[in-house]
Amino acid sequence: MNKKNLPSFITVIDIGTHKTTALTAQVIDGRARMLGFSERRTDGVVKGTVIDVEKLHASVHEVVNDLERVSQRAVDHVYISISGPSVEGERVKGICIVPAHDGRITKLDYQQAIDSAKRLEPPAGRITLLHMRQPSILDNKPVGNPVGQQGRRLEVSFWRITMEEGNVRFRVSMANGMSINVRDFILASHAAACAVTTDTEKQGGVCVIDIGAGTTDWVLYFKGHILCSGSIAVGGEHITNDLSIALRISRETAEDLKLRFASGLHRDQDVNQTIWKDGDKSVGDQQFNRGTITQVSSLRYQEILSFVRKDILVQLEQMFSGHEVKLDQNFLPAGVILTGGSANLADAAEAAQNVFGVTARVGIPKFDNSSLQKSEYAGVVGMMIAALEDAPPVVRRQKGFMDILRDLFRF
Amino acid sequence: MSTTPSILLVGLGGAGCGMVSRIAPHLPPVVRVSLIDTDASILNTTEGQEAFQIGRPLTRGMGTAGELAVGQAAVEADEPALRRLFTGYSLVVLVTGLGGGMGSGGAAPLASIALDAGATVLSFATIPFSHEGERRKRQATEALEKLAVKSHGLVVVENDLLALQVAADASLSAAFSAADEWIAGSLRALASVFTPGALVPVDPAALKTILEKPGSPTLFSYGVGEGSGAALIAAKAACDSSLAHGPGAITKVGSLFVQVTGGLNMSATDAFEAVSIIRKKFGGEKTTLLGACIKPELGDRVEVAVLGASLPVPKPATKTKKGAKGTDPNQPVFVFATEESIRRGIFSNTPLIFRDGADIDVPTYIRKSVRLTSAS
Repeated sequence: MNKKNLPSFITVIDIGTHKTTALTAQVIDGRARMLGFSERRTDGVVKGTVIDVEKLHASVHEVVNDLERVSQRAVDHVYISISGPSVEGERVKGICIVPAHDGRITKLDYQQAIDSAKRLEPPAGRITLLHMRQPSILDNKPVGNPVGQQGRRLEVSFWRITMEEGNVRFRVSMANGMSINVRDFILASHAAACAVTTDTEKQGGVCVIDIGAGTTDWVLYFKGHILCSGSIAVGGEHITNDLSIALRISRETAEDLKLRFASGLHRDQDVNQTIWKDGDKSVGDQQFNRGTITQVSSLRYQEILSFVRKDILVQLEQMFSGHEVKLDQNFLPAGVILTGGSANLADAAEAAQNVFGVTARVGIPKFDNSSLQKSEYAGVVGMMIAALEDAPPVVRRQKGFMDILRDLFRF
Repeated sequence: MSTTPSILLVGLGGAGCGMVSRIAPHLPPVVRVSLIDTDASILNTTEGQEAFQIGRPLTRGMGTAGELAVGQAAVEADEPALRRLFTGYSLVVLVTGLGGGMGSGGAAPLASIALDAGATVLSFATIPFSHEGERRKRQATEALEKLAVKSHGLVVVENDLLALQVAADASLSAAFSAADEWIAGSLRALASVFTPGALVPVDPAALKTILEKPGSPTLFSYGVGEGSGAALIAAKAACDSSLAHGPGAITKVGSLFVQVTGGLNMSATDAFEAVSIIRKKFGGEKTTLLGACIKPELGDRVEVAVLGASLPVPKPATKTKKGAKGTDPNQPVFVFATEESIRRGIFSNTPLIFRDGADIDVPTYIRKSVRLTSAS
């Protein structure tokens, strides 16, 4: 006599430096069925920072229009991704000295600790968007659910995500301008991680690096929780720019050559290989040395990864001051997973392996629709997965008179 | 053969003096060399060349300690003597290293004295390495703007790019000798204009038509080739040289001067072919001066030097009233492609992001001074 849950709809929008993607899905029995997907070049964003509000507004509007057309459904609620340098993560702690005689922690104590952590004000001019749970610590030992356990000092901590006030307001008003409500924000790197990692991997420890066009967002999981996250305003466009400067070619040509020949590693065999720009023997075709391309791109790529590694170490240092933490295979059994458009670079995983010294792979999102099984869609697919977990309880249709009758007479 | 010097090569400041004294022995006799600095110890080490100590009361024979004002004051204090030095030369080549006190502070006043003395001024300036710090970089950039207005031609040699030109494991001195070679090569090319007996002679006065007005955006390039087809190799090298792509440089010019110097085997056809390659790359629709010169000692080597300038681009007409603020005739009329826009490319108008004191929008290979495998 299991009554079928009525469907609810989830729409997610991932605004990146290079392109904006949106996905609408219908939730049936806790699973998302894709209804529509649209993507479009983003205008007005450089290195993850909005420089032209009007242009960005226009491109997001078009994405939403496309989405509504293909999914044949008006979008009313969206989840919006947040990434880029204006997003900052920080650890906040709440402490509760257990009042009970026997030191048993009650739900109330736990809630009190949580409240005191969440009460902490964000820095001036910033808005707290998310509190991501971290393991609770009871008398210096990490515990899962502290309620009912015995101890003296309960410490609850969250990874708090804050964003500049103007940026938040702008995103909300952009959605509201299209008569859409923002249901919640989702951290882009967390979303990407949801799409490409398993719970087991998060439990053991894994680092997900989402290298987009303008920004690189990373997140580190340990014991199933977000340990820290961060963002650097460097991405695939920097590789394009480096190539255009090094080879003295236009940005478009550089982008084309990057997609075809750039690599995360510089190999000796590339050095004397000559490649053609177009290869169709047309007038104006140019010849380039493949070695130059791989050299320029690998230097930049490995540098981006080493920036991430450095940032992680800085964060860990702050968190475990006094203890030496090594970023090795023991700490990250699942290694490093690369996502985002720039993860498609040849030898990307090998480059990460070199920089981090742990296993690395390129993450492909797990999704029914095969066209979205590419690393650059990890963000939008992951947002859907994250939104599913967050989705509101399924709205049941109000029981009408006929339903009551039907229940009464069981027909 | 008359050897009255008609070109004056001036080295200003520590870096400029060093460079000039290194290349001085390889120059033809039409070039007179003079070293100018406040620091007596530097002038003493460069033996055998004419040295000119300035600003003695200001620094008591010491350096300028990186102070712009001291460098500038030193030049201004000795103005009459300097004016005498410059008088009578049709071309003054000023070599200086920007970033310090003497070069950055003194270059622009010195160039303006030479201008007043009636000479055509061609300046070579080096920009400090990125890792020499923000202050020196800023001083250099500011000085560059001032110097540009006071010189008929300004060639910027960027030390960062310099390091990229030589092999990764090459010594520092090799990197610097590359710059020396460029400047020496250009001077030899210019000198041969003033030396009679060329295969294709150039009227020295015609050089003035190339470097017509102070403040012109300048193109300068230099390439060397050897073996068969040496002239073509040299011309290609000149096209690809990072000198022609440095900050302040332009890639298309109206007037072009190409000097091809080669050994006995070089024919006029070779020279013309080289010039056509250069013209295809750099333009020169208005005038192209071709000079060709045979030097038996070069063997099968060919050197190609390219010098060109566009007329200063007139500023777009603004609505400023006559006599109103901002109509200073000395103000720069051409906005030089800044060092920043060359190195940051599409990110040149975006906020700077620094990590460990370095601007990370600048390509990694430039910041790490990695030599790229040849781009051709």
